[in-house]
Amino acid sequence: MKRQIQNVLAIGIGAALTVAMATVDIAGQQPAAQGQGQAPAAQGQGQGQGQGRAAGGGRGGGNNQGRGGRGAQQGPPAAPTPRWPDGKPILGSVPGKAVDGWGAGVTTLPQGMLDQVPFQPWARAAYDIRQIDQFEPHTRCKASGVSRQFSTPYGTEFVEVPDLQRMYILDNGGPNSYRIIYLDGRQFPEKIEPTNYGYSIGHWDGDTLVVETRGLNEKFWLDTRGTPHTKQLKFTERFTRLNMETMEYQATIDDPGAYTRPWTTTKFQLRRRAGEEPFEYICQQYNQGPELMLGTQESIDNSKFYVP
Amino acid sequence: MRRFVVAVTACGLAVCSALLSAQHTPGAKFDLKKPLTLTGTVTQIDWANPYVHILMKVPGQPTPALWAVEVEGPITLADNGWAQESLPLGETIRVEGFAARNGSNQISGNKVTLTSSNKPVYVGVNGTPKARPTATGPTPRWPDGKPRLGPPPGQTGYWGFPTKHGLSEDGQNVQMDDYGLLKNIADASKVAPFQPWALALYRTRQADSLSHDPMFQSCKPPGGPRQYQQLVSGLQFVEQPDFKRVLVLLGMGNRNRRLIYTDGRKQVGQIGGNDDNPLFYGQAVAHWEGDTWIVDTKLFNEEFWFDNGGLPHTEQLHLVERFTRPNLGTLHYEATIDDPGAYTRPWKSSWDLKWVAGEETPYFLCQDDRP
Repeated sequence: MKRQIQNVLAIGIGAALTVAMATVDIAGQQPAAQGQGQAPAAQGQGQGQGQGRAAGGGRGGGNNQGRGGRGAQQGPPAAPTPRWPDGKPILGSVPGKAVDGWGAGVTTLPQGMLDQVPFQPWARAAYDIRQIDQFEPHTRCKASGVSRQFSTPYGTEFVEVPDLQRMYILDNGGPNSYRIIYLDGRQFPEKIEPTNYGYSIGHWDGDTLVVETRGLNEKFWLDTRGTPHTKQLKFTERFTRLNMETMEYQATIDDPGAYTRPWTTTKFQLRRRAGEEPFEYICQQYNQGPELMLGTQESIDNSKFYVP
Repeated sequence: MRRFVVAVTACGLAVCSALLSAQHTPGAKFDLKKPLTLTGTVTQIDWANPYVHILMKVPGQPTPALWAVEVEGPITLADNGWAQESLPLGETIRVEGFAARNGSNQISGNKVTLTSSNKPVYVGVNGTPKARPTATGPTPRWPDGKPRLGPPPGQTGYWGFPTKHGLSEDGQNVQMDDYGLLKNIADASKVAPFQPWALALYRTRQADSLSHDPMFQSCKPPGGPRQYQQLVSGLQFVEQPDFKRVLVLLGMGNRNRRLIYTDGRKQVGQIGGNDDNPLFYGQAVAHWEGDTWIVDTKLFNEEFWFDNGGLPHTEQLHLVERFTRPNLGTLHYEATIDDPGAYTRPWKSSWDLKWVAGEETPYFLCQDDRP
């Protein structure tokens, strides 16, 4: 990653290419946004079975405003945190009740503290370029792990499976995939082949689920704004369900490849999307720009490496 | 069997049968009439699904050229004892394979040899592939007596290694490769009770080495029976009686997750699909009849192939799938295809999947090796 970014710098940040990419990005997201719009429109049908979509679910439109309800909460105070019989908080849906989702809540990991983030110089340069470039791997239908899961419009669903001592986090947007968090007390394997979701192990610290992830590759961004990382990243997340409606989320980034010391983000909040079942959203459906997006196999040339 | 053409001579059938490749039949991307041998220096390795790519610098005038060598996927390579580190950067390799159909600097790495030692790398077997004996034992069951589709409590595992890789009507003897490509194109009409247009389209897709497969081209999802035909990875069921639904977590294709509802709901209006917005995975509802789990799915779109071999379907497709688990190690799958838009009558195809005990579904994402 580091070397690749330096290459980009050498080529020239201000090159017209960058501008062209930014333009394509905006244009390219448009069809996806339309695709996103379709599902909700269709969702209206057959909803007569009392599965009310809660206000503030924020599904509408393809724009940022529609994202996972960071807006002010209305109505009476939220119900208390639901709990399992053993007293641990339920992070996903309450058994026997309707399925709930969580809205997106993470904008950018350095939010409110950009000046305090201990970037290495190349990482800061990469971050700055990405503010202009915005050619995020996610827009090419790459799966996006850890904190990026909570940046995606339409949010996630937490599927706790006590029977199997694990939790899945389902992505609604993007390539419609999932991540596994092991809760069976296992240790990290000696060798982890790096992937977009990495290898996640969780444990409880009081009412907070602490999830540590290793084995992340460099093929995705940690958030929509392009906070950089390398394969050395150890990513720690703290999930605290404050009440029925709110999940607090905080991450610690320990990556000696990109930062001079570990740093911890501000506390983000995810809002419950009450009664919202996961739906089929396939990034690839409208994401077919032949060159710069996912591309078709006929046009792909693996000898031309793209630098994210 | 991606390396079939060359590998038969290079390593013998026994070794080749240990190789199962990831996604496309070789002719889809490479021109099997254009053999090519190149020697170059390794500059980078993209250890990603579906195929690992070795980037190498090939000397030339006026400047060297960068080539991508496509070899097996990480799952298959790792299973055969290879790791990314098996090929150090800076090594010189000789590559024998075929040129890309699109004329770009890409070659299939049917045989990759280190020039320093003349030893093969990233091909064939580099150790003993993991033995995966069929799990034995009785069918695991829920307290209410219904068979469990997932692991027994406290265990893990996944369904993989399907016995059939292309859909064809039960009772017909049709030979296909691991990608659903017919050994003999003359068998096409035996595969299913086609309407004439569907047969013509199927033959065209077959004749073109399945290269227009939407999954190969654009990583479109493997909806319908195809999700149970995947080669090197597999799938898991997560049953959630508390929510009256079953999650299907695919390991291959796009590593998608999808839902099958068991709450007795009707077909229309679920999970975002309707007549105006049909889906890749359709709308699925399921119920038990004795020990058979019956999944009824409608409202498919036409943007994907519902089997590896390119059988056409229309939005009229009504799929009924029957799952039985006669013992711990076996899932019997039977699909009934009822699509009056493409076939003259309903027809059935069935195969078995194997329970791979103690393992997680191997990680696979179709779009990983793309730019």
